[in-house]
Amino acid sequence: MYRYDEFDAAFVRQRTEQFADQVRRRISGELNEDQFRPLRLMNGLYLQLHAYMLRVAVPYGTLSSKQLRRLAEIARKYDRGYGHFTTRQNIQFNWPRLNDVPKILAELADVEMHAIQTSGNCIRNVTTDQFAGAAADEIIDPRPIAEIIRQWSSLHPEFTFLPRKFKIAITGAPQDRAAVKFHDIGLMAKTGPNGEIGWTVYVGGGLGRTPMVAKQIRDFVDHEHLLAYLEAILRVYNRYGRRDNKYKARIKILVHEAGIDTIRDQVEEEFAAMKDGILKLPQEELDRITAYFAAPAFKEVEQKTIDLPKLKITDPAFARFIERNTHPHFRDGYVSVTVSMKPIGGTPGDATDIQMEAIADLAEKYSFDELRVSHEQNLVLPHVALDDLRAVYEGLVDIDLAEGNTGLITDIISCPGLDYCALATARSIPIAKSISQKFSAPERQEQIGDLKIKISGCINACGHHHVGHIGILGLDRKGVENYQITVGGDASEDAAVGSILGAGIAGDDVPDAIEKLVDLYIEKRESADETFIAAFRRLGEAPFKEALYGTR
Amino acid sequence: MDIITANELLSGATVYLTVDGKWLEEVSKAQTFGPEDKAARDAAVEAANASGRYLSVEIEKAEIIDGRVVPTRLREKIRAEGPTSPRHTPQTLDTPHAKGEDSNVSL
Repeated sequence: MYRYDEFDAAFVRQRTEQFADQVRRRISGELNEDQFRPLRLMNGLYLQLHAYMLRVAVPYGTLSSKQLRRLAEIARKYDRGYGHFTTRQNIQFNWPRLNDVPKILAELADVEMHAIQTSGNCIRNVTTDQFAGAAADEIIDPRPIAEIIRQWSSLHPEFTFLPRKFKIAITGAPQDRAAVKFHDIGLMAKTGPNGEIGWTVYVGGGLGRTPMVAKQIRDFVDHEHLLAYLEAILRVYNRYGRRDNKYKARIKILVHEAGIDTIRDQVEEEFAAMKDGILKLPQEELDRITAYFAAPAFKEVEQKTIDLPKLKITDPAFARFIERNTHPHFRDGYVSVTVSMKPIGGTPGDATDIQMEAIADLAEKYSFDELRVSHEQNLVLPHVALDDLRAVYEGLVDIDLAEGNTGLITDIISCPGLDYCALATARSIPIAKSISQKFSAPERQEQIGDLKIKISGCINACGHHHVGHIGILGLDRKGVENYQITVGGDASEDAAVGSILGAGIAGDDVPDAIEKLVDLYIEKRESADETFIAAFRRLGEAPFKEALYGTR
Repeated sequence: MDIITANELLSGATVYLTVDGKWLEEVSKAQTFGPEDKAARDAAVEAANASGRYLSVEIEKAEIIDGRVVPTRLREKIRAEGPTSPRHTPQTLDTPHAKGEDSNVSL
């Protein structure tokens, strides 16, 4: 993992001290709320329905055991004993008190963490594939470039007050697990004509009230010129992005209104002027950062084959765990293990202090001290030897997080919704729980297969409902919660925005509505190998609409 | 009828302006304002904003049900009672000042 250098450590410590003084001045009355609000937001401190909420950055979703233990301590000491992992690969604490926040930030700084760039119109925390540095299908580990982007973007003087927030996602694998085409900038690793590795650049993707799939702006940028190219995009956005209407201020609107060809020309002009300037990335610097992300000292392990058919009879829960919650590793004898934070009937993404500490222990013992947070609100132990799978599984059983449901219908993304969020128009968590309970039977989940349900409690789409194979959007209709169902969204490399099937329905009716869609899929699929999203693409939305609303 | 709600500065807790001018967590103790009380209501909002101790000061609709003040909107009910799933109690105030003991708002 990356370790703070002297600059990083001094900068985070200085920011923490500054914020402590700002809190003191706010409480004494020297600062009013209008003056204080932008300062607290720059340090990740929001005010929600019931209390302040502190959003802590987990850069590119990478954590050490020590850091996760510290998050657990903070949850216990300053909050209510739990934290919430988010679709931005961050963690949120829902109940901190203002006086405690400087202490929390100081304790985070001790383990090289902070809450900077988790709010405001700046370049936000960079996100990536949760299997980065471990996945068998990876062309390149994206974390060194993600770290370089973090260093470039942190407090970038030109981009601290952009027209609107700006999110960058990066994947080093052809299978996109980071939803890069739904970010302001998406980077996807690509092998160039001479075998060198670089990046395909997408721009103008996003969700929210105007969902858009990003457009390819450049087929290939090499490492050396990537920062200059990103800076060129940001400059064009900073200059031409709309500041007159916050709902039209994201770069996706600029790209949509001006057209990708115009934006490309403007970016190329900027790029040409700066490409060989100070942002040119020297190979030795890339090598220096890459060294922090060197693969761990793997054990020499013998090839091992797990007899899954037999295990399905003797220990079906463990078999399901292996089948669903492990991902192929580049190293023979190892896998990446997803710790599903979606126990049946649980709150998606929530973890107690005890669970966090237990997972940190498992990571220390069985995953070279490494952890990842996924944008699907799960945790990952990236490097687990097959020989250790049983021990990891049993450790997770002890904390009720051994559900073998990754990628299944109960592995639901959900924003906090109206139970917590000041922007929400309807609750999300109870809907997620009721769907999870309805489809709790493992055999039923297995029968359905891969299916991603994503729930947002308002049009801002923190729950990524637009890109759910089935998406659910909670709205307020004349004071009553009302849920709009979409089908056909996809956050992967085959990016698509879902289609709204019809009028919204009551919250109590949502699980049955989902069952109708699932039953239709099972009835119409060509075989069990045809996934829900593949069947939708073949069938179109009409039969799903009819399943939900009849032929009216 | 209307009630006035806010979040208290130190705890962030949801609070309501009560009949004796304090800001407390219990919506049942909220002062209600009818149409004829608009001037007093608006003055209370202005005073709360000027105090600097209360954030997101809002006027909310409420009803009297079985003699108790109950917010009309679901959002406000959740603010008053805490998250519904899993159930958590609302944030509490934590200092004498925040308990409303020196936070009278002149109407």
